[in-house]
Amino acid sequence: MTRYAMVINVQRCVGCHACEVACRAEWGVPDNEHRTWVRPTYPTALKRGGGLFELVAAFYVGQCNHCEHPTCVEACPTGATYKREDGIVVVDHDLCIGCGYCVEACPYGARYVHPTLKKVDKCDFCAPRLEKGLEPACVETCITGAKVFGDLDDPTSDVYKLVFGEGARGITSDEVNIGPNVYYVGDDKKVDLIINKFPPRKPKLPTPASLWEKVLKPLIGLGVIGSFLGASVAYFVQLFKGEEKFE
Amino acid sequence: MRKELLEKFLPLTFDEREELKKKKLKKHDIATIYLHWFNALVWFIELTTGSALIISKYYRFTPVFWQKIWMGIFGTRANMLKFHIMTGVTWIIVLLLYAIFGYKNYLWGYIKNMLILAKDDIIWVIRRGQLILGEKVELPPQGIYNGGQKLYAWDVAVGTILIAVSGIVMTTHIGGVTAVRWAIAIHFLAVGMVVMGLFVHIYMAAFMPEERESFFSMFTGYVNELYAYEHHYKWWREMVKEREEWIKRYKEDIEKELKKYTEEARA
Repeated sequence: MTRYAMVINVQRCVGCHACEVACRAEWGVPDNEHRTWVRPTYPTALKRGGGLFELVAAFYVGQCNHCEHPTCVEACPTGATYKREDGIVVVDHDLCIGCGYCVEACPYGARYVHPTLKKVDKCDFCAPRLEKGLEPACVETCITGAKVFGDLDDPTSDVYKLVFGEGARGITSDEVNIGPNVYYVGDDKKVDLIINKFPPRKPKLPTPASLWEKVLKPLIGLGVIGSFLGASVAYFVQLFKGEEKFE
Repeated sequence: MRKELLEKFLPLTFDEREELKKKKLKKHDIATIYLHWFNALVWFIELTTGSALIISKYYRFTPVFWQKIWMGIFGTRANMLKFHIMTGVTWIIVLLLYAIFGYKNYLWGYIKNMLILAKDDIIWVIRRGQLILGEKVELPPQGIYNGGQKLYAWDVAVGTILIAVSGIVMTTHIGGVTAVRWAIAIHFLAVGMVVMGLFVHIYMAAFMPEERESFFSMFTGYVNELYAYEHHYKWWREMVKEREEWIKRYKEDIEKELKKYTEEARA
């Protein structure tokens, strides 16, 4: 079994945006949208003992977390978004109708509706590149080697060592923990800062979707079943009564 | 035939019934029959593929095995979606052609006969309900379509427009992401509303012994006059009057032609 994951070393990241540029070049990501992004936390004063403060700054490198329990997959009405057996969450553009229910459901804001394709797009760990035996474009291009990609089920891989040996953590909170497969490692203070500054938001269901799920589906279900039962009962009564021989 | 029958709905004698049974009235045009069955086929295809397309646990309403059957038939769900869209587009085009070329005969006919509700129609619906509940009431005379059929006609007319528009919005993204989000819920709602009435429609038309004529008229186009008299008295009265006028005119014309022809032949 394969379970692809990525580890980002926040100690090494210098915030050069090369990964974002490589991603744009590889996949034609439109302006103002991101498959992967780099955001600064800005220098933040953290309390230290003895009334002293310490300035900490880091870069948050974000992308689809290919979660273990993806909320986006549950939100997709047509099943266009699904989790592959190797752990990569992909969007089937032939099935996607671009409703963006998944965009609202993603706690990391990793999805966007492509303005010209009218389909949802996001990071897929460069699945087509993986098939050719290449690494994801952002990993290959990272100038400091801050991004590490590999198989979490393979104990010899770098990601395995970083996650299980050096305690790399995903961006989770007490409220939202859906098993992200992008991990952050390096200085613990920096990782904490990133998690505090960019916490996962609660998965949302757009109004029409929740209306459909909570009101329309039960109402229409009852109506359709009721109308079917009514017609069936009428027919059974007819079976019992029989028809006139002559009219 | 008694003259009063044309003035007021009266019980028939045995001979009158037998006489009426033999005569036929045209209820549906060929175009209407084809559109009805085309529509039925499209609904069947769209309902089966559509119900199998919705897979998310939030919105799904059909069992998994059902979805697997349809996925097996189409190979991939993407193909199924394409087929669903193509069928829907064909449906919209055919309906538009009917509305544009048949606006005088078929669109206006639909509006006039099926969408305009008279007082009698509403009374009919209420009393029909009372009859089902076992009360003894008399149904008021009806036009070519009764109150229940008219209500369903409204359901179908509104449903068809909503389904078509929301389907187009989902396919083409007119109106942006917000419109698409609402379109999904509206598509689902409209289909649900139509299907609720569909079971009643199918039972009433295809299974009820009293409506036997009505069912076969969707194939042949004709109903016998006894059925028309008993179920659609107002329409029957109109048709009989019209037919008598038509026969009068037609007879005169033919006799004139015949006279002319025989005179010419003699000369």
